[in-house]
Amino acid sequence: MNQHATLDAKLPESKREPSRRLFWKQVSRNRFLYMLLVPVAAYLLLFKYAPMAGEIIAFKNYRLADGIWGSPWVGFEQFGKLFSSKDFYAVLRNTLLLNLYHLIFAFPVPILLAILLNEVRIEWYKRTLQNLLYIPHFLSWIVLGSIVIALLSPSTGFVSFLMKGLGLEPIYFMADKFWWPVTFIASGIWKEAGFGTILYLAAMASIDPTLFEAAKMDGANKLRQIWHVTLPGIRSTIAILLILQVGRMMDVGFEQVYALRNPAVTSVAEVISTYVYTRGIVNLQYSYTTALGLFQSLIALILIVSVNRIIKALGERGLW
Amino acid sequence: MVTSGKALKKPPHRGGFSSKAFHWVNYLVLALCAYATLFPFVNIIAVSFSSSRAINAAEVFMWPIEFNMNAYVNLLKDGQLLVAMKNTALITLVGTALNMLFTIMAAYPLSKSRLRGRNFMLMAILFTMLFSGGLIPNFLLINSLGLVNTYWALWLPALISAYNMFVMKSFLEGLPDELEESAQIDGAGDATILWKIVLPLSKPVIAALTLFYAVGWWNSYMNVLIYIRNTDKLSLMVKLHQMIALVSPDMLRSGEGLMQTVITPEGIRAAAVVIAITPILCVYPFLQKHFIKGVLLGSVKG
Repeated sequence: MNQHATLDAKLPESKREPSRRLFWKQVSRNRFLYMLLVPVAAYLLLFKYAPMAGEIIAFKNYRLADGIWGSPWVGFEQFGKLFSSKDFYAVLRNTLLLNLYHLIFAFPVPILLAILLNEVRIEWYKRTLQNLLYIPHFLSWIVLGSIVIALLSPSTGFVSFLMKGLGLEPIYFMADKFWWPVTFIASGIWKEAGFGTILYLAAMASIDPTLFEAAKMDGANKLRQIWHVTLPGIRSTIAILLILQVGRMMDVGFEQVYALRNPAVTSVAEVISTYVYTRGIVNLQYSYTTALGLFQSLIALILIVSVNRIIKALGERGLW
Repeated sequence: MVTSGKALKKPPHRGGFSSKAFHWVNYLVLALCAYATLFPFVNIIAVSFSSSRAINAAEVFMWPIEFNMNAYVNLLKDGQLLVAMKNTALITLVGTALNMLFTIMAAYPLSKSRLRGRNFMLMAILFTMLFSGGLIPNFLLINSLGLVNTYWALWLPALISAYNMFVMKSFLEGLPDELEESAQIDGAGDATILWKIVLPLSKPVIAALTLFYAVGWWNSYMNVLIYIRNTDKLSLMVKLHQMIALVSPDMLRSGEGLMQTVITPEGIRAAAVVIAITPILCVYPFLQKHFIKGVLLGSVKG
């Protein structure tokens, strides 16, 4: 075998050999590569695919003592319970609303920021700004949430100090059902808007500079250049990121909500991920929350697959 | 908009008035954005060094008032945060090393188009990005493996990030085949080629991915919350959250947290936040050139 392998490496592949022998020869020649993949495959099976199979407890009444196989089948009972509970519609609504606000208010910010950054002609100034704007991306929601809570505290926060100075009544932002979602979205912008400019800036850098020259020749001022050259140049990047965002409509990150929420705003802050955690891990309602998780994953899967179709139909390169 | 008619005859040069004004406004707006991004950090640092009287009067802006380090002294005396920091360092080191090992083990073979079964594996990995087993089945798996309350419960399920694996794979695909071929002719085995030729050439992508994985581990919160039960094994972020969000003086005042008896003073919470972000801010200047590369590599093929 070893001889074959070394021989084969040196000589061009001979096509006269029977295909079955060729197959094993190829496998043997690449045995190092397959050896690397064995632990990877084991990992995928055990930690990625086994939990998928574990979703069947959504159709059972799972009890720890009985195990997955011993627990009785209940068909769609858990889903029935889910769809008839008020909680379900509340967390679904909160999840979709927070995502919708994000799409409207947060999604355009990195585009605007990238356009402004792209116009900066002083290289060191641009680089410094970028590096400063990227910082929050690398910090955890727990840290950023703590800072937001401290800053907005009605008694000791700087924002309320400012409001008092302006003669306004301080607001307890974090406990207000209107201001909590606003804070949620704003803090999301704070964390990700800067980092989100990277892809747009890269797309802008690949725009043909002669287009700008031509626009200038035609007398277009800065705003018109941005409108007629820069924006069309990043159109496909915007489209892909927008569609990806839509594909994530069912998911609000656990940590951001967990870091910012408090009992006063549960009615607007409880989303699917936090609800699954509280009901499942804390209250041990395993089957019920698995049903909710499965519902969420399936919708997300449908969304992302259709989104990929749309991207391809629009003539852009798909996600896969 | 302003001078379109004239400009047709005589193209405006770089220093035209409207262009200059645009640049000045633009620089100003961006400086304000950067200021707004950084102000909260500056403020929390200033608070952490201020006296509790100044904090309670909400006087602290960008500079400590009545400078003192009591908050830090108290935190260090208590020691819990230091333990959590040590735990997090361990979680980060081992986690990142395992991540890189497995990411390379997956990405290198899968970057070879001659490999049979490659497409099947790639599809299997891609599918894990689109659909996952969900929180509860994962928890039950870890539970039945007896991993609860060990750090393996954090490391093992997260050995490979599919996204990072694809980034690595597309980078490796971009390396010229001739290098490996000539090494093969010189009699080098696959393992030698990977170790001596491929990995040294992959330094940029290895740096970027190491950074992404390590930051993720340093910030790890949710999985620790779920899987780690011992207080002395908790990670920094969980400890921080326990200190901060759960018992806030505001909640107490508004009657939400009346059951809570311990209140962490604002100054100490601020100091804890500062301690938690310091390591990231310290390594940030050295790493910033790598992550941009990493993000762009990912966007080429994802």
